[in-house]
Parts: sequence; structure tokens; C-alpha cells
Amino acid sequence: MLRNPLKFARVALAVFVFAGFTLAFVDFRGFAPPKLGHALAHTQYVPGLVSLLVGGGAGAVIFVVGTVIALVLGRIYCSAICPLGIFQDVIARISGWFRKKKKFLPYAKPFTKLRHVFLWGTVAVALAGWGGFALALLDPYSNYGRIVSMLARPLLTVANNSIVVFANAAGIQSIYRVDTAWASAGLLILPAIFLTAIAVMSALRGRLYCNSICPVGTALGLVSRFSALRIAIDKTACTKCGDCLRSCKAQCIDLRTGTVDASRCVACYNCIGACDEQGIHYRFSWKKSPTTTTPAPDLATAKAITPNPQRREFLATLASGALAGATSLAARADDDETNSEHNQHCGHSRRHKPTLVIKGEDSPAVSPPGAASTAQFLDRCTACHLCISACPTHVLQPALFEYGLEGLLRPKLEYSKSYCLFECTRCGEVCPDGAITPLSIEKKSVTQIGVADLYLGQCVVRTNGTDCAACSEHCPTKAVTTRPFGDNLRLPVLDQNLCIGCGACEYACPVKPVKAIIVTGRSTHAQAQKLVEKQAPAPNPVGDFPF
Amino acid sequence: MKTRRDFVKTSLALGATFSLVGNLNSLFAAEPVTTPTTSAPTGPKSVLAAIRDGDRVTMLDKALAELGGIQAFVKPGQTVVIKPNIGWNASPERGANTHPSIVGHLVALCLSVGAKTVSVFDNTCDQWRETYVNSGIEKAAKDAGAIVVNGKDETLYREVEIPNGVKLKTAKVHSLILDSDVFINVPVLKHHQSTLMTACMKNLMGIVWERGVWHRVDLHQCIADLLTLHKPALNIIDAYHPMVRNGPRGKTVEDCVEMRTLLASTDIVAIDAAAAKLLGRNPTDITHVKIGHEMKLGRMDLENLDVRRHKLA
Repeated sequence: MLRNPLKFARVALAVFVFAGFTLAFVDFRGFAPPKLGHALAHTQYVPGLVSLLVGGGAGAVIFVVGTVIALVLGRIYCSAICPLGIFQDVIARISGWFRKKKKFLPYAKPFTKLRHVFLWGTVAVALAGWGGFALALLDPYSNYGRIVSMLARPLLTVANNSIVVFANAAGIQSIYRVDTAWASAGLLILPAIFLTAIAVMSALRGRLYCNSICPVGTALGLVSRFSALRIAIDKTACTKCGDCLRSCKAQCIDLRTGTVDASRCVACYNCIGACDEQGIHYRFSWKKSPTTTTPAPDLATAKAITPNPQRREFLATLASGALAGATSLAARADDDETNSEHNQHCGHSRRHKPTLVIKGEDSPAVSPPGAASTAQFLDRCTACHLCISACPTHVLQPALFEYGLEGLLRPKLEYSKSYCLFECTRCGEVCPDGAITPLSIEKKSVTQIGVADLYLGQCVVRTNGTDCAACSEHCPTKAVTTRPFGDNLRLPVLDQNLCIGCGACEYACPVKPVKAIIVTGRSTHAQAQKLVEKQAPAPNPVGDFPF
Repeated sequence: MKTRRDFVKTSLALGATFSLVGNLNSLFAAEPVTTPTTSAPTGPKSVLAAIRDGDRVTMLDKALAELGGIQAFVKPGQTVVIKPNIGWNASPERGANTHPSIVGHLVALCLSVGAKTVSVFDNTCDQWRETYVNSGIEKAAKDAGAIVVNGKDETLYREVEIPNGVKLKTAKVHSLILDSDVFINVPVLKHHQSTLMTACMKNLMGIVWERGVWHRVDLHQCIADLLTLHKPALNIIDAYHPMVRNGPRGKTVEDCVEMRTLLASTDIVAIDAAAAKLLGRNPTDITHVKIGHEMKLGRMDLENLDVRRHKLA
């Protein structure tokens, strides 16, 4: 390792980042402090881009810093910061243990067209108003989050639960049973397919995913090809032994020409240590134009590195495309704001962009407190599932089509098995991209994410003539109280102005199969009234026994 | 060979035991559900200790002294389960849960007379980890030497039949309740939106797994029915700072009033009847208390009880 300090530093950083992310996403017991996932996720490019587009914040700074780093150091991000990138190295290494002979990955031609199709496809879809959806599908960070949160976390919970009996028998109470939060089978297919694809690709072809599909990889590649520090082959020292090729996971070293494709090199520094002749260096390369140092013997390389008018044009499109995307998203953020103001004044909402979701007063799914509105939430959320992993009550669950196709995998509040804990603000604390803005307890306790409707025709107190009021029992704001009814019974009474839509009433309602109190999400979150009461009077004369 | 003398000795010992722990024998007796008890009970009256105006720990000590001390309930080598109310994710001053100082002191008392183990649990309403921690009960119980057990683990509950239940015929009950030698019930006194009061009888909803069905079938009747299976040996009510409105969850400390009272009794119906009075209600207002009395699970007619009132200040 000391022979190759650069690689040592890269691996050390990668191990730290990977362990941190994995802990935050796999955390089924609330071990990880909310700050861990939040801070780590702030290093991520796509959440950073979202922050930039929706009006700044720490994430925006990270996005700019990340771009500058790529311009100086190359794609170190893909090597040591991106959890999906590191995950692929882990898979490649593990698959190596099952091979008799070390796999040799020769130089491969770049999939230039394919890469750009994915990158520009993502940009185009984002411009069409489906930004969150496109980003959610292809963002490497979010994909890693979903693999761990949706697959590894429940599996680990099952493993934990299987040892609880033995631990308790041995007197250990600190290991306890935890509800296993499996998403529905229809949803689990998505991360499972992605995991299978990425496992096969990385086991067989190293960083193929990063250099063919990943839009972040492609975008950083566009920058890193001009980076100041680049891996370069010293042709006078090179014996063309191929040791460097054997160590390269990106298949980007072309020994015939003695060049390294900087747009695909993920700056892992493995090749530097692999070269016995000290013929590979991480070299400052801004002195000369990259085109003059490297001859272009074959067409593929020439295409990739020779400047031509078409490419210039292409880069110009990139710049203007990014600008247009930013303007478009920012404009929509403004639109959301004006829209919510409009709602407050007029008490109703209107459709303001063409999507599958009906953006009326009601949202088809309840979005988390801090999301402000369903539309804004879907624009910003990349479905990384950090909040889903952090949610202590498991009320946050990935949506199937409840938000519409656009909202696939985005978190929603599911009240059939749980409810939003009144004193908890964890989802906003972990969210890295402002999709769920952090709320103080005071703010959250009056943030109306939905409103309950009481269906007294179904209520046990009426249908069965017996006491219940489980809804009122659980209501934290006392939007649901009771009034005398019939023969010494208490019937629920609902004041929607006090309701914040936490779902405790719906969860607690014992009526089957359809509950007698049901929360409907608000497409634009509102502020609930707060019931402030004076000190309760004593029920008896103070100072003596009433019996 | 059993001699007549042996028989007499055993009978006397048994009689003494049962009179000590009140009418615990009804636990095993398959008594038919009959008309309400109106006549005064024969034999020794159950004791209801009612203490005022001390701190929680002092009042608990005084109440227990009236009942013969903790050693009347816990023998050396016995396993004890304490069931506080740990329902809601709220801090102690909100009065939504039993005060941690009472739970801690009770644990220490049980251990001081030689209890083998003391376990504490509740099937919480809010998320159990947060609730155990924020109620302060987990720390107080652990510091005093108790084992704090998960009440949200379905595998720890066992399905049992309730032959004498009117509407509740089976229930999944926490194994600690079924397996421990001594069961101590120590709720906080609170207002309740549907049952008007939650004290000792209603606190036992926290020893069963599935409560939804109780709400569907008949809440009050199910509360009483469960008692035909298993009654706590000792009931203690923390009424130092009871919640008098917006219960059982409460919103703020303004929902509570300072009453500085503690009740203790072996009779779960009697103690709840007294608790109802503390909340300004008649025992008959609380349907499950009324049913409990009618099913002879205890007495709500306080005039037929040995009520020992003490004001410590």
C-alpha cells in the first residue's frame, strides 16, 4: 500500500464512505445518528444537483465543488465517494475469490453513443417535467440506497430476529425483535433487477455500468477528460507488459497507443502501483493540449479525443441544456410557491403541470412533513430511501403508483401498519436534497400533510353500540375527541382544522376491512390550527380524599 | 398417608394465604356470572390504602406498609413482573405514563426481599423504543436492577383460553404474565376519551397482543373478561399528577393537575372505583368497573372495604 500512497488514500476514503452509507441505509434499529446519512448524502452529485436547481443550499455547493474536483483530480468521485461505484469494486473483488484465474479485462472501446443516450435522455426527461423520476431511476447514489434499504435492511432484520430468542435466553435484552419492513413484491423487483444487473456487469466487466449507463459517470467523464491531473503512460519506460491493464477496472488503458481514456478512468490509481517500471504517473496535464500529446491511430480513439466541430457543438448543447434544465426547474419551484400562496388565498388548488397525478386539493398519497407539496416533493426526491431507513415507525414506505407513475419508489406515509410519530422529525433531518425540508417539532406539529375524514356510519360505537374511540385515544392534537352518545357511550368527534394527517387515528381504528376514519393527503401542505388550552381544573376539592 | 391433623394444617395455611392476598382465589374459581353483589362480604374486607401529600416514593412505602409490606406479596426466589403504563412517547411530567420513580422504587423493593428476577414491560401504543426511553421508565427500572422486556414482540405472547369470559374467549397474553410468580400492576391515573378513565383494569390491555378486536367486540366487557383469567396480586395507582382531560395521550402538562395521591390494593375493582372518585366520577360511570363488580372480580362499593386513608402532610 505504501508503495502506492494514492491508492491507499483512495481505498481508505472509499471504505469510510461505503461503511457510512451502508450503515445509514441498513440501519434497522436507529443506531446511526440522523446526521451521518445526511452529511454523507451531501457529498452526492445528484442530490447536490437537485439542491442547485431548486435554489442553493449546502448541496449546491457540493455539486460545484464536486465538479471542480473532477476538473482537477478526475473521476475520484466514482472511485471513493459514490457508494454504487465502491459497491461494484466490492462485488468484483468478491467474485474474484470464486475464480481460479484472475480475470483479465482488456482495453475496450468506449460506448460513447450509449453513454450520451443515457445522459441526454435523463436531461431530456428532466426538461419534460419528469426530473425526479429520471434522476431517481438512474442516480447511482439513490440506486445504492434502494438496494440496501429495500433488500439488505429487511434481510438483516430477519437475521436479527432469528437470534433474538437465543440472545434473550442468554440474558441479553439489547438484541430485540424488530418489525421487518418489506416493501411490496411488485416494488422489490425493481432494486432486485438493478442489483442483479449491476452484480453481473461488475463481476464480468468491472466499471462497465459507470462507463456505459450511469449519467453521473458520463457527466463527470465529460469534465474529467480535461482534468488537470490525469493518469498518463510514460512511453519511454513502458514495456507493454500489460500489468496496468490487468489492474484496470475501467478498461480504459490502450497500450497500443499508450493512452488512457481520461473520460472513463475512475482514478482508482491501481495501475500506478501495478507498473514495475514506474511507467504510469498521475500527472499534471494542462501544460499541453491533450490532443497534441496523443496520436490518434484508430478511429475510436480519434472520435473520443480529437476535437471536431460536431463535438464542439455537442458540448455547447450540453452547456445550454444544463442551463435550460436549471431555469426550467427553478421556474417550477417558483411556480410551486406562487401556487401554494394562491391556495392559501383561494382555498383550492389547480393543475399547473401535465402529469399523471391529479394535483387538486387531495394528494393520492400522503407526502412526508416538510415536503411542502406533492408536486415539489416529486420534483426534488430521488428516492434514495434514506428517510425510509431512518423512519422509526416504518410509516414511510416506497410508493408504487399511488403518486402516479412519476412517483414510483418515492416515500409516502402508509397508515395501514403505522403512523407518523408526533414528536419525530427524522425524515427531514436525513433528507439530503431538500425534498423533505427539516422542520422543528413546533412547526411539524402544525404541518397538515393530510386531513382525516370520519365515517360515523362505519364507527363501532354506532354499529356495535359499544365504546371504542381508539381514534381519539391516539390523536396527538385532539382533532378527534368524543361526545356523550346513547347509553353512557362516547362517540368520536372530528375537528379537521386541528388535524395534521399523522394517521394515528386511521392506524388505530379497529373497523375492518375499511376503516371508519381515513386520512387523505394534501397536495399542498397547510398549517393546522393549534388547540391551546389553559391549565385543567382539579376535578375535586383540593386537599382531601373524595371517598 | 394423610392424617386429619395434616389436613387441618393445610387448610388453615391455605386460608391464611388467600386472606392475605385478598380474593386472588377467584382467579382459579370458575364462578358463574351472576347478579351484582349487594350484600356485604363475609370474612375479612379487602384493604384499600389511600395516601396523600407525600412524594411518590414515600407514599408508596406507606401504602405498602398498610398492605403488610412488599414481603406479603414477594417471597424470596420468586419471579416478579411489573406492568406500568408505558403507553405514550411522552416525558414523565406529561402524566401519560407511570412515573419512573415509582417503577424504580418498586423494582428495588421486590429485589430487596429476595425476588429472583423483576421484569418490566408494556405493549406500548407509540413506538416502543422511543416510549421506553422518553418515559424514563427504562432507565429507572434498569438502574434499580430490573430486566426491561420488549412488549412489541409477538413471539413473547401466548394464546390462552378465557373460559369465564363473556365476550373475550381467547387472548394472546405476554408470557411474563403467564409465567411469573408475582404480577404487580402499577398504572398512572388518567382521563380517557372513551372509557372516561384508565387506571388498573384498563392498564391490563397492555398485557395482550391484539387490542383491536377488543375495540371491535366490546371494550369494557373484554377488559373485565381478561381479569377472569389472571388478576394482579397487587395494584398501585400513581395519582400524584393525574391527567384529567385529553387522555389517555394528553397534549401538554396543562392536562394534568397536582393531586399528590397514591392508591394501593389487592382488589382491582375497588382501587379503580376509588380512582374514579379521584377524577370526579362515580364508579358506575366507568362501565368496566361496573361490569367488574357485577362479575365479582372485586368490589366497587367502597363502603364495604377497609379503606385506610393517610395524609402525610
